[in-house]
Amino acid sequence: MYKFDFIAPQTAAEAVAELQNRGPGGKLLAGGTDLLLQIKARVMKPAYVVDLSRVGELAQIEDRSGEGVFVGSMVRLRTIQLSPVLAERSPILVDGAKLVGSIQIRNLATLGGNLCNAAPSADVSPPLIVAGARAEILGPAGRRSVSLDDFFLGPRRTVLRPDEVLLGVLIPRAPRRSGGSYLRHTPRKEMDIAVVGVGSAVTLDDGYCTAARIALGAVAPTPIRSVKAESVLVGQRLSTELITRAAETAAEDARPISDVRGSAEFRRHLVAELAKRTLTTAWAQAQGEEA
Amino acid sequence: MTDTLAIGQRVDRADGVGKVTGRATYVADLKVAGMLYGKMLRSPHAHAKIRSIDVEKARALPGVRCVLTAADLDHVDDEPASRAHAVLAKGRVRFQGQPVAAVAADDVHTAEEALDLIEVEYEILPAAIDPLESMQDGAPQVRQRLVENDDSEAQAHATVATNEVKPTSNKPTNVSTRIHFARGDVARGFQDSDVIIEQTYHIPHVHQSYMEPRAALASWDHQGHLTVHASCQGIFALRAELASILHIPESRVTVIAEEIGGGFGAKIQPIIEPITALLAQKTRRPVKLVLSRSEELIAATPAPETIVELKTGAKRDGSLTALKARVVMDVGCFPGGPLNNVCLLAAGLYKFPALEVDGFEVLTHKASQAAYRAPGAPHGTFVIESQMDALASALGIDRMELRLRHCIATGDLMPNGHPWPFNGMRQVLDAIACHPAWLERKQAPNRGVGFAVGGWMGGLQPASATVRMDRDGSLMIVTGAVDLTGTHTAFRQIAAEEIGVAADQVAITTANTDSAPFAGTSAGSKVIYTIGNAVKAAAADAREQILEIASRELEAAPVDLEIRNGKVSVKGAAERSISLSKIGQVSTAIGSKHTPVLGRGTTTVTQQSPGFAGQLAEVEVDPGTGNVTILRYVSFQDVGRAINPTLVEGQMQGGSAQGIGIALSEQLVYSPDGRLLNASLLDYRTMTAIDLPNIETVIVEVPSPYGPFGAKGAGEPPIVPGPAALANAVRDATGCDFPDLPITPEKVVNALRQAAATS
Amino acid sequence: MSKQILHLTVNGEDREILVQPYQTLLEVLRDEIGLTGAKEGCGTGDCGCCTVLLDGKPVTSCLVVGLQADGHQVTTVEGLESDDGLDPIQQAFVRRGALQCGFCIPGAVVMARALLNENPNPTEAEIRWAMAGNLCRCTGYTKWIEAIQDVVQEVKA
Repeated sequence: MYKFDFIAPQTAAEAVAELQNRGPGGKLLAGGTDLLLQIKARVMKPAYVVDLSRVGELAQIEDRSGEGVFVGSMVRLRTIQLSPVLAERSPILVDGAKLVGSIQIRNLATLGGNLCNAAPSADVSPPLIVAGARAEILGPAGRRSVSLDDFFLGPRRTVLRPDEVLLGVLIPRAPRRSGGSYLRHTPRKEMDIAVVGVGSAVTLDDGYCTAARIALGAVAPTPIRSVKAESVLVGQRLSTELITRAAETAAEDARPISDVRGSAEFRRHLVAELAKRTLTTAWAQAQGEEA
Repeated sequence: MTDTLAIGQRVDRADGVGKVTGRATYVADLKVAGMLYGKMLRSPHAHAKIRSIDVEKARALPGVRCVLTAADLDHVDDEPASRAHAVLAKGRVRFQGQPVAAVAADDVHTAEEALDLIEVEYEILPAAIDPLESMQDGAPQVRQRLVENDDSEAQAHATVATNEVKPTSNKPTNVSTRIHFARGDVARGFQDSDVIIEQTYHIPHVHQSYMEPRAALASWDHQGHLTVHASCQGIFALRAELASILHIPESRVTVIAEEIGGGFGAKIQPIIEPITALLAQKTRRPVKLVLSRSEELIAATPAPETIVELKTGAKRDGSLTALKARVVMDVGCFPGGPLNNVCLLAAGLYKFPALEVDGFEVLTHKASQAAYRAPGAPHGTFVIESQMDALASALGIDRMELRLRHCIATGDLMPNGHPWPFNGMRQVLDAIACHPAWLERKQAPNRGVGFAVGGWMGGLQPASATVRMDRDGSLMIVTGAVDLTGTHTAFRQIAAEEIGVAADQVAITTANTDSAPFAGTSAGSKVIYTIGNAVKAAAADAREQILEIASRELEAAPVDLEIRNGKVSVKGAAERSISLSKIGQVSTAIGSKHTPVLGRGTTTVTQQSPGFAGQLAEVEVDPGTGNVTILRYVSFQDVGRAINPTLVEGQMQGGSAQGIGIALSEQLVYSPDGRLLNASLLDYRTMTAIDLPNIETVIVEVPSPYGPFGAKGAGEPPIVPGPAALANAVRDATGCDFPDLPITPEKVVNALRQAAATS
Repeated sequence: MSKQILHLTVNGEDREILVQPYQTLLEVLRDEIGLTGAKEGCGTGDCGCCTVLLDGKPVTSCLVVGLQADGHQVTTVEGLESDDGLDPIQQAFVRRGALQCGFCIPGAVVMARALLNENPNPTEAEIRWAMAGNLCRCTGYTKWIEAIQDVVQEVKA
């Protein structure tokens, strides 16, 4: 293990102050399931880590009724997986969170860690983008809010400045007659990083699709929206054929690389396949609500 | 089946409680006073000259006690005799991960920090990575000059005689071994064929992936005696290797086997023990060295990569005509792989009147190979069993029928001209043929059923054991065998049965090399088969001695006595008896006229009893993603005699899981310049509990004339048929061939798309 | 940097130890406290051999910084047995022969205990999903499932 120092503040403001005062070369420690791997591999050599596990305000799931539901950055993925509030208010986030690693990993991994590590394949990212979530950030200058659409800058890079802490995400209330679903492809049933991840959500009005959001993971340097695929659906009556067309269009928006987990061509194929399946599920959910 | 006291019983493992409570000790658990921690600096390049190594900053780091490079060691060759002899790289590195320096420090974190401070200047050289390219003239050479090949590894698992072809020229070549088998007229056979199947099969490097990374703890006493606590598969083999590498007599080396967290053949070659011993020698302190998982994946000893071109012919009436195979085996940077096994099984499981096999062992700039559970056998079985299904399809003949018609039997000739030893291949096929999973299989979209059968010849090695009676009448087996898989429990049962007591009256211990009777490596499926015979002989000897003492006490002839219920009594006169505990007392008491009971068994089994295994898989394929789900899996194995059915089932299930891994998800992926791209268990994918169904087991017993109570080696056969069984099942589900392992979702999708495009 | 004091309760016993800030919980348990049951199989959270319970929840202790456990409760495999004997899961694993080399077993029995604490009546699929984070190379998992199902039945009876 690289020899780092360890600080455990009690509040988010204290955490920000530590980052400011100790200067560059520090890292925020959430669940440790990504950061510690990087440190052990000596890819990252932080002089100190600021542990957020004692900052209670970051570990809450808050129902803010009309506004939406706020999920703190230190909420563990397993807590998200089992949360009755989120099962009702953001099932697509549960879809993503429950797939990460094993139960042991999910008891440690956090929403904030998964987002801020910003792996293109992160399983909570497409769901949150599709849900239109906003990241709430605290820095020395105060708070700011950033749409998840704009949160990611590249692999392992987000808009967070070195002295900022992600407080959590606000997931807006989904419109009525909406449905959403996230699926990913992995070679094994669990324990793998997503080769491709797709999140889809649709909103219906009298059978017409009034809103569609499709987000793709692991097929670009950041999770991306498939705007072209969304425009195939919006304003149309949904059907299996239309969904298939939208799914194939989503594959065109993907910009995957070939690596040890899969070739670019296979990833494009999977985007179409998973977009089809998630759109079909989202459509059925939205219809279920409509009836 | 006659009533037995212990044979065939599901006796609990004696080591079970220690393991479920965490009390069992593995090498990494050990901590001794003054202990230092060792770490190795490894080459990032597959092939490079070492221009310079500067260790000054590392040596100066507080807490660092020693930094070694090849310059600090005697007896290190620039062209080492074997992988184990390549303690630290001298002048040149020949695989990514090869150790170039070693550090001992007060704690492991400081040792890691020291590695960062060592400066190595490399001159990167072109590397031979792809085996087919490496075979060509002009490829970068792995060996700079030829040395006497250390074939001890190949010997440990070379279970049949080789047909080695001697090289005809002195041109430098990466082809380290060539073999050739032939019989009959292959050209004519193909001319006469109505159906010819030609396919190229590819099995990548896989890693044995035992859960315990290698670890060693070494210390020297003030008289220059080395003691090593090891996670190893053979204490005497390790002792011999250490003595050879360190240039000291074997009598100055003591090897103590701690619990071993899996080996599967890899923990025979000592790739960390020598350097650990040298660090301990230099620092005059005990040194513990433990590999990380990424070091294991990058720089240990994986199974070889194999490419087989196979051509088989048959006539419309279903008779086989000819088989031609070209086998290329990439063994990494040192020779000694199981090329022979691949060739013999690919060409020897079915009766082809004419056959020709050419095998090439090729060196590349990758970590050299070591055995992995039935080395070469899954490869050979994969190619021929895939081909048999393809032949059956092409001929319109039932897959089982074709095999039953042509499978070998005892006495049929192997490709090397030797007769097949006594075996149960047919009985295993019969067991599959009459199993409901086969008989009741149904056609359904995206579903398929496939099976395969293969075998393992089984190793042979002389063995010895003692059985001692203690003062309280209980029995203690003393062995030099490492208990890899639970064989110690089987030994207790064998001894108990032989003497006439319950298994819980028999204990067993693995002594160290100072005091243990010789036993060979726990490998080659020869532990029960050979060491078990020594235990049986020792128990029989102990029994004779017990009866001798009893006969004098009871004044009856030994032949009139029996051992039953913890006593020796006169047959038909049970009241004339003496308890075993009394015998223990009288044979050890001061002034006694009796001698202590020490049974001794020394045996060598010279006949093999190959173990055959078959597996059947029912799969469902998701055509959109290519994922293969195993709905049902049945494992069949001829074990001769199941000494302990629970242990045997465990072997069958564990081996099946490994074979499934090779079939569906395991492979070491190297970049074109020889760097490992998937160096963690995240991307080197072994099967998890949710990837597998219950593995059903069917034990077949065709008793061996040579093994104890008819037992055959059971450890290795169960990995053999898995890859072929899965390939055949997915073939049945999709109509596509899968000659390229592993059968990843991507390959399934590509095969289906190609089939749709051409249909 | 200097060592820091770590207070934690391990298997019901309060401990106060001086640790380096960069030592993982796994290392603290094994090297500082001497509880070597939890093993390092990979160091990256992929194998589950280091599984312990942190406030009753199973975690891969190789990815927990020791100081993060300050003020918390840890249960290791050594804490599963009591003066009354082995945990039923431990007994069932032995009886069923659900272990061979044993290296992965401490992590597996701790995970199984966590599973049954949360869900005393799991289906086979739920058992397999729960145990998917514990790799085993020897057994093929079938006997694990049987052992855990034995305990489920025993409790029901």
